[in-house]
Amino acid sequence: MVEQIIMALLNGILLGGVLALLAFGLNLIFGVVKIIHMAYGQFVMLGFYFIYFFYTAWHIPLLLSMAMGIVAMGLIGILVQLVIINPLLKAPRLNQLLALASLIIVVENLAQVIWGADYRGIPLTMPIIQFGEIFIRSSFLIAFIGAILTLGLLYLFLNRTYLGLGIRAVAQDLEMAKGVGINPNVIYYLTQATGGALTGLVAAFFIPIYTVHPHFGASFTLMAFVIVVFGGMGNLLGGFASAFIIGIATSVTAVLSSKEIADILALVLFIGMMMIRPQGLFGTES
Amino acid sequence: MQLISKFSRSGLMLLLILLIMLPFLISSSYLTHIVTLILLWSFVATAWAYMARFGMVSLGHGVFLGIGAYFPTLMFNYWGVTPWIGIFVGLVVAIVIAAILGYTCFRFGLLGDYFALVTLAVAEVSALVIMALREITGGSLGYTLRSTGRLADMQFADKRVFYFMALILLIGAMYIWRRIDKSPVRLALTAIEESEIAAASLGVSVIRYKMMITLLSAALTALGGSLYAQYVTYVSPDTIAGVGVSLSVCFKAILGGMFAVLGPFVGSAIIVSLEEYVRISLGTSFLGLSQIIFGVSLLLMIIFMPRGIMGSMSMAVAKRLNRISARH
Amino acid sequence: MLNVQDLDVFYGEFQAIDNVALKIEKGQTVIVVGPNGAGKSTLLRTIAGLLPPRRGTISFEGQRIDRMEAYHVVENGISLVPEGGRVFPHLSVLDNLKVGSYNKAARAKAQQWMKRIFELFPVLSNRKTQRAGSLSGGERQMLAIARSLMSQPRLIMLDEPSLGLAPLVVDMVFEFVLTMKQEGYTVLLVEQNANKALKVADYAYLIESGKLVFEGRSEDFDKNPYIKTAYLGI
Ligand SMILES: Nc1ncnc2c1ncn2[C@@H]1O[C@H](COP(=O)(O)OP(=O)(O)OP(=O)(O)O)[C@@H](O)[C@H]1O
Ligand SMILES: [Mg+2]
Repeated sequence: MVEQIIMALLNGILLGGVLALLAFGLNLIFGVVKIIHMAYGQFVMLGFYFIYFFYTAWHIPLLLSMAMGIVAMGLIGILVQLVIINPLLKAPRLNQLLALASLIIVVENLAQVIWGADYRGIPLTMPIIQFGEIFIRSSFLIAFIGAILTLGLLYLFLNRTYLGLGIRAVAQDLEMAKGVGINPNVIYYLTQATGGALTGLVAAFFIPIYTVHPHFGASFTLMAFVIVVFGGMGNLLGGFASAFIIGIATSVTAVLSSKEIADILALVLFIGMMMIRPQGLFGTES
Repeated sequence: MQLISKFSRSGLMLLLILLIMLPFLISSSYLTHIVTLILLWSFVATAWAYMARFGMVSLGHGVFLGIGAYFPTLMFNYWGVTPWIGIFVGLVVAIVIAAILGYTCFRFGLLGDYFALVTLAVAEVSALVIMALREITGGSLGYTLRSTGRLADMQFADKRVFYFMALILLIGAMYIWRRIDKSPVRLALTAIEESEIAAASLGVSVIRYKMMITLLSAALTALGGSLYAQYVTYVSPDTIAGVGVSLSVCFKAILGGMFAVLGPFVGSAIIVSLEEYVRISLGTSFLGLSQIIFGVSLLLMIIFMPRGIMGSMSMAVAKRLNRISARH
Repeated sequence: MLNVQDLDVFYGEFQAIDNVALKIEKGQTVIVVGPNGAGKSTLLRTIAGLLPPRRGTISFEGQRIDRMEAYHVVENGISLVPEGGRVFPHLSVLDNLKVGSYNKAARAKAQQWMKRIFELFPVLSNRKTQRAGSLSGGERQMLAIARSLMSQPRLIMLDEPSLGLAPLVVDMVFEFVLTMKQEGYTVLLVEQNANKALKVADYAYLIESGKLVFEGRSEDFDKNPYIKTAYLGI
């Protein structure tokens, strides 16, 4: 039992890294474009299918398929901005929310029509690493390391480049950002492309871990939401920390009881947080 | 303005007469079935719009549907309690849950998209609870109501009874809508929507009015869920609880226009018919296709016609009337 | 250099600027004074491209800029120091300056300019890594001015730079306006502090409720009895 809990703890940390990546994307989009991307987890599902499709239908080598999946999702991010968000930029927030919720219906059913309801995956055998009684799947480890590296690169991008600076400026004060000479449209597209590409990347990390089906994304949307709200919406660092907290909490709870109870726990935390501390665990007032 | 209301009143009467006669005019039980579904969903969507039109957009009405559907069904199957009582129990549970939820949300001042997100999470919790209790509820596979065919168990040989039950409920819901319109509650809640602070300074008990509407909306939604379950004799977290159905109720109302009394009905009629049409003409293998069409039309709707069909129509009519009256 | 004609600006149905005309020659310091809510900030924001005018033209160095996006206006050499020393509070002082040089032309010479800015504003050079939000009001105003200089503008517009500052700091700000004048900048300054502003101005405009009510040189303002009692407090 102790080993199981330790393993759950480890898995929680490892998956927490990937979740941090997802939360980062959601947070970035929320912070910059000021929209709550209801279909964000569904994009992971779409990315998964893209990679699967490139690999199985076009027989493109796996790593290249993954790269193409990431690019495709980046493009889809841009498309979302162009077709859905731009027309709704001045609409009430709720309309943006509902538009993205309808996108869930479109995306999930698109997957259903194209690939059917069956579980699909790319069978890969990845070694298992063993420390005494504790087993770690190398696929988890790769995903974790990849996610942390990506987050590091994103951090550098945001802090060391003009475009990154533009993103941070638009997130803080749109009008003034325009006033200092930033074209917000470029920043919006860039943000959506980054957010989209991140879902593709997360999908790539998930390839050796999961199989995909049309409703695969819903739980990741949920997870990302919980993390983002927990860390404070728009707060990138808070999101990073809370990804691990939530990752560990749900993974351990799942071992102790069941997957549903773990999800319920996460959601109850989410609801409580929204009510009592909408600025998040690490946020400051206002 | 008077002209519009007179016009719409006679239109409403005509529609009502048509709906009453319909089951006797058409022999196809399939068509009656579709219209029954339309009426049922119209009823639920109308109840949903009670809240939404005053700025409380809930994405979690699946909770109340689920409670309304599961309680009488489970109580009947396990304990043999007649749904006539079970429905009542579901209703009470839904009201209690709505009271707890609504009160905490309004107490903490949750508004707009934050309210929507929290209710969405609650809907997901409801589906997860059903899954977690799969020993009792059948989990995601769903659960079938035991058939007895007895009147005392709310089972009728003639399915048209459900048609008329749904029709009566819908008319009742629309009547309540009109009553709300004429009551001070509406004025107060419109003031709330415009400015919470202004309303508070007017001495309006914001939370009390919000609670009244919320409880009413939840109770009617649960009732709709109960009737649905008794009618189709099958419940599952996908069809009658959780996020999916919550969104679909809200979309029906939005499509038709959630600020007009007929809006939810129009929206439900369009969506249910569209779904059926695509399902029949394309077959079940393309089930997803109807949903894609549905999703895309919703998207277009939200972007280009945010007040829904009825909202846009009445605006167009008002404009034309304005022009006519301006000419005189 | 800047020529504004027949300008009307609306917020929804509310008209904030009503038929305003204004002219600035190269190297001049021009001030706009007026009471609260007169539309001074609105005028500057419209010139900066942050608000679209409903009617009228704005041209800068012979080029029409009234339909340009704000970022394009900046590229063309106009820079706005917004009201209240508005900086990016969560960015460091250095990043605030860097973001000032966001436009392509300014980027190339950003390093050079940064050095000059720190010479001009020694206060800022000690606080490079500090979050802008934690600066004092005066420092923030300095940073806002410095940031807009980073875009290497030819016309700099300042919106009430002395607002809410201690008298000593206000004097610093006006001294700084004089320095810019000597350096050859064209300056459009909005002020409620009409006394001090008139001392540095070549030409002045008075607007009330969105309308131009008086214009002239500083002496003309001093002579006008209405302005004397209403704005100069004499
Ligand atoms: N975003 C806005 N929406 C609606 N009305 C606005 C907006 N901004 C300003 N106004 C109105 O336009 C008018 C002019 O405002 P503006 O900020 O330009 O005045 P100002 O001269 O700069 O005043 P102050 O000296 O107080 O800064 C005011 O009546 C103000 O209420
Ligand atoms: Mg002002």
